[in-house]
Amino acid sequence: MDGTTPSIDFAAIGHQDSWQNISAFVNSIRNTGQGKLSCEKIKDIFGFISPKEIFRIKARSKTGTEINGVYIETFIDPDKLHSQFVRANINKVLAAASRAKRLGSKMVTLGGFTSIVLEGELESLSTRETKFTTGNTLTAAFIVKGIEKAAERLGISLHQSDILIIGATGDIGMACANYMKSRANKLLLCARNYQRLEKMAGQLVKEKIKIDFSVRLEDLLPQAKIIIAVASSMDIKLNHCNKNVLICDAGYPKNLENNIIYKKDVHLFHGGMGQVSGGYDFSPDYSRSIYHYEAPHLVHGCILEAMVLAFEKRFESFSSSKGNITTDKMEEIYRLSMKHGIGLAPLYNSKGLW
Amino acid sequence: MESVIIQSLKKGELTMEEFNVISDIFSQAITGELIGMSNFASLAETIDDPHEKMEAVEHANSERMHAEGFLAYARKKNLKINVNMNGEYWGNVRKQFLKYAHNRDFTACLIIQEVMLESFAISMYNDVGHALGGEAGDLFISIGNEEKEHLEHSSDLLCAELKKDPAAFESKFEEIHFNCMSILAEFSATTDLRGHCGVCNGDCMKGSLHHVGLDIVTLRGNAMAIYEEALDNIGISGEKSIIWMARLPA
Repeated sequence: MDGTTPSIDFAAIGHQDSWQNISAFVNSIRNTGQGKLSCEKIKDIFGFISPKEIFRIKARSKTGTEINGVYIETFIDPDKLHSQFVRANINKVLAAASRAKRLGSKMVTLGGFTSIVLEGELESLSTRETKFTTGNTLTAAFIVKGIEKAAERLGISLHQSDILIIGATGDIGMACANYMKSRANKLLLCARNYQRLEKMAGQLVKEKIKIDFSVRLEDLLPQAKIIIAVASSMDIKLNHCNKNVLICDAGYPKNLENNIIYKKDVHLFHGGMGQVSGGYDFSPDYSRSIYHYEAPHLVHGCILEAMVLAFEKRFESFSSSKGNITTDKMEEIYRLSMKHGIGLAPLYNSKGLW
Repeated sequence: MESVIIQSLKKGELTMEEFNVISDIFSQAITGELIGMSNFASLAETIDDPHEKMEAVEHANSERMHAEGFLAYARKKNLKINVNMNGEYWGNVRKQFLKYAHNRDFTACLIIQEVMLESFAISMYNDVGHALGGEAGDLFISIGNEEKEHLEHSSDLLCAELKKDPAAFESKFEEIHFNCMSILAEFSATTDLRGHCGVCNGDCMKGSLHHVGLDIVTLRGNAMAIYEEALDNIGISGEKSIIWMARLPA
């Protein structure tokens, strides 16, 4: 880094979840005379590319503070997000983490799937100069605040509702359960690992929280008035939902809409997202090919957590190991985000704004 | 006396398809090494500094030894070798190199020979070595390791060049990337984008690589990855290199 290069306050490590997005990005940076590359040609090379910085970000707080960031793409193949590719994916994320350190990033957040593959190994990444966070605390905060906002809009009472959490034993799922346990009528917990689920349920029963739990989604769906889906599985099928059910799709990728049979009576929004009122710029500006939201300046909560911490100059591993997100920490990071003009994203889904 | 390959064919240890593709692989490797040897010899002619001149000759000799090594094995096994330094791809790479050598542009020559060509050699020799195994495999892997040292050495030199004037260096590198890497990208695409290479004995060997446990997508992907790693080590930013890579023919 030379004297003219701005220091990097935060780095966001990410991945793409569809070939459609990748194809749009790659073809947007090719010369017009070259013609477009087919998706098949792009697939042939994409996964071989090593993690690297793709564009710089300048974000503005409503307090007037500006921060400099960088987006580092892992080049994880979107068809290889399954557990059988975990070793290769871990290597990609670790290489991206090294890249962030080499660039001199003070704060690094692991977006989407990249924090899931490194679960439990995050603390060892941080150094004196570079701190890592999963960004899960602000993501969880935006999910639950989104549920509250949507429920109010639809006239749904949380206290009278049974809330189903799909992916309940994950970091964000546990955070949502902790937040909602005193606000909902009953918690319905669903996860793939029965032992973890049973352990979590046991703890909540001790706290006299009303719960049901199952590894089979269909056992719980008929009771659910509200659903929070934070699992990274692509195979979630929401057959037999209640009428007028409220669903927050906060998993990766956000594709639940494709897996619901009766869509008419379902109120679904993409959760865990925030909006930067002060705005941000990319350099080079790839927003035309990579930004697909209906409202301006929307960002995933995990990236926003790093931005908030950078605005605050609190370079620390705010969210590091699994299971440590408390409701107090969610409220704290949410309050800080509001201070910098980073609020809950408007409610939207693939069809547009609510 | 019958060749080892013919004996292997008769014993059923090696099929005709395997024999053909191995012959083509060795033909490509020998041609590539001879291109490298000629490039360094041409470079030596343009250098005034006696030490640098001697180093270029030494490098040329090193590539000659690699070619000798591949040729010796090919002779021993009676492989069907076709050397053609003027084919569509190798010939054009050589022309590009000579263009810069005639301008006495040492840095550009280093970029073409030691970064671009060596990245492909290191990666493909490694992949081929592991796929072939045995004596042939060991030969490819040991030569690949020597090429790796060349790349590391030149990366250090080029990194120092970049620091002197980053904008001018990146601009020069970009020009060479599109002049030379485009040829290698066309050469290594799933189908030859400019027709037959003039080295393979029959049809393009890419369609037959599976007979020896290889495929062109992986060979190309790994080679591009080594090249990208070299760009990183030299100090080319990710923002630049992703654009350079996306704009290559495929």
